[in-house]
Amino acid sequence: MSATAMSLRNGWRGLAFIAIPVTAIAIFLFYPAALSIIGTLVRPKDGGGYTFSLQSYVFFFTDSYSLTNLGRTLWTTVVTLILLVAVNLPIALYMRFTKGTLATVIQALALFPMFVPGIIICYALIRYMGPNGWLQSLLNLVGFHHYASPHLTPWGPVIGLIWDGMPLTLLILISGLSNISDASIEAARDVGAGRLRILVSIITPEITHSLLIVSALNFLGIFGQALMPFMLGPTNPEMMGPFMLRTFASVRDPLQASTQATITFLICSLAGVAYVRSLARRPQEDRK
Amino acid sequence: MLRRDFLKYSAAGAGLLLAGPRVAFAAPGVLDIFFNSDTNVIDFWTQVVKPGFEAANSGVTLNLVPGGGGSGINTLADRAYAAFQAKKDPQIDMLEAAMPFYPAGALEAGLWVDFAKAGLANYDKVNPVVVQSPALLPYRGSQVVLMYNSTLVKEVPTTFADLVKWIKANPGQFAYSRPDLGDSGACFIERALQEVTGQKPELFLPDNYTDAYAKPMFEKLWPLLKDIQPALFNGGEYTSGNTASIQLLASGAVAMTVAWSDMALQAMSQGVVPDTTAVAQLQDLAFTGGFSGIIVPSVAGNKDMALKLADYLISPEVQNHVVTDLGGFPGIKWEFLSKELQDKFAKVAPKSIPIFPSTWEPSLFEAWYRNVASGVKR
Repeated sequence: MSATAMSLRNGWRGLAFIAIPVTAIAIFLFYPAALSIIGTLVRPKDGGGYTFSLQSYVFFFTDSYSLTNLGRTLWTTVVTLILLVAVNLPIALYMRFTKGTLATVIQALALFPMFVPGIIICYALIRYMGPNGWLQSLLNLVGFHHYASPHLTPWGPVIGLIWDGMPLTLLILISGLSNISDASIEAARDVGAGRLRILVSIITPEITHSLLIVSALNFLGIFGQALMPFMLGPTNPEMMGPFMLRTFASVRDPLQASTQATITFLICSLAGVAYVRSLARRPQEDRK
Repeated sequence: MLRRDFLKYSAAGAGLLLAGPRVAFAAPGVLDIFFNSDTNVIDFWTQVVKPGFEAANSGVTLNLVPGGGGSGINTLADRAYAAFQAKKDPQIDMLEAAMPFYPAGALEAGLWVDFAKAGLANYDKVNPVVVQSPALLPYRGSQVVLMYNSTLVKEVPTTFADLVKWIKANPGQFAYSRPDLGDSGACFIERALQEVTGQKPELFLPDNYTDAYAKPMFEKLWPLLKDIQPALFNGGEYTSGNTASIQLLASGAVAMTVAWSDMALQAMSQGVVPDTTAVAQLQDLAFTGGFSGIIVPSVAGNKDMALKLADYLISPEVQNHVVTDLGGFPGIKWEFLSKELQDKFAKVAPKSIPIFPSTWEPSLFEAWYRNVASGVKR
């Protein structure tokens, strides 16, 4: 049997393997999503028949209320992302270069949020950082009386989302750092490179890929979040998640809700493209 | 109310799908009772009503069946109507938290027992303001009430105008929830709407909402709500639901909020709020609320026993438990309850139970977000 025939047969077998999940995705995800997107563009006419209309999008982009919500969502996403990396990168670096009980304890603590449901975190955070909560009481004890609770302010969901996003971020960063061989760091040290130089010239280039994945995945997770923003965030501006839910369930305006969802989807798909491209580029780099 | 019920029903419906249909067969001495309410209500029946009634009537067993939510209960009502037309036993002796208005025409045809004429010994005790139809026997209710810390609020407001004055005189001490996330907050802005339109609940009917009719009324509402906004919690912030409002009260961040009576009474009996927490109802026009009742098919196989149970349900003995164990409002007049409960809840006893139609809510809530919530300065 020739090598081509072999790989062809393997190819078919591979396709058969993925046929079921791909069909399931197509039926339960792509088809309804496509229906919903088309539904925002093609509207039934009064006298029967259909007409193409961008009216719901025109409304969204001329409505200052909707635009403020979109702006708040972007702000929350970007701020949370920056803080997530800022908090997790040092922990990941510490764990990459330190072995021992303390490192294990820190790792367990950092991964702990993964096992706690979001709604529980929300109520716990409200009691902890809310008005007259534990944090305020503790600060009062040490004589600090100017605590302003982040609960029900834009910083509320940021704190909740950092809590929520920590385990995933940390795991990806640690796996990225573990790819850096001790040998290359030793070699840099031997030629007299300082710690900062090693971080900038050896470590950072090696983990840009991980950083990209972390950013893309967290962007997707944070942008569409509904729970944290409406439990911990202000009434207004809303993030897109609660805004969509409210437009659909409370205002009972499915057209505008699908329009908001489509816009959210388009913005998120940018992050999705970045993620997929980064995944696709990786094997090529490895093969070089 | 409706949204809360809807959520409950859909959850119950999902449960029934998993459990599969459980159809009871009529047997002498076994009363088949189907529930529309949540498990906490069925628990109440299991622990209070069933043992009490079975002990007093030997040989009788109450068969308590989760009815599977709104559509499940409607199917049972359909079955009762079909049996009624065929003059057969529907094998349903009682429906809980159902309305006698379904199926259409059944009430007029005489499917449901008229309790006013059924000769119940306790019927005179029923509070007339909570009776929606003589075929529906109300036995538990909940209503939105003012929930406050009595050490901080010495004189609780008794009218809406006084409440507004109190809010402005005590900046940062009052909170209500976003209307779409907590019905207590919804009831607050609905009561405010009734206030600015002259306390006439009859202006708001399930079928009379139009943009043109509502807009002039809404325009009167926004100035009032914006006026009190700076004096609300945190300079004009709204909580994310009924529980979140109670949590703010519990932590002492606010001195007063609005809450559902059952949630408030439960929080008080569980001790999650300070001992000094109290509840009160406006005495000019009460916050909206609703009562659940039972209906009995006139062709029920065990109709006489079912009526005896209905009578037991509105006896002061069970009604005291509705207040203490279920955190509900009694279906009978407060004067028939124990002296202790009367004193404790004197301020919540409603003189009327207004209902606000849910058909008005989508536009009202959306307009609230755009006109009131978006004006928050920070």
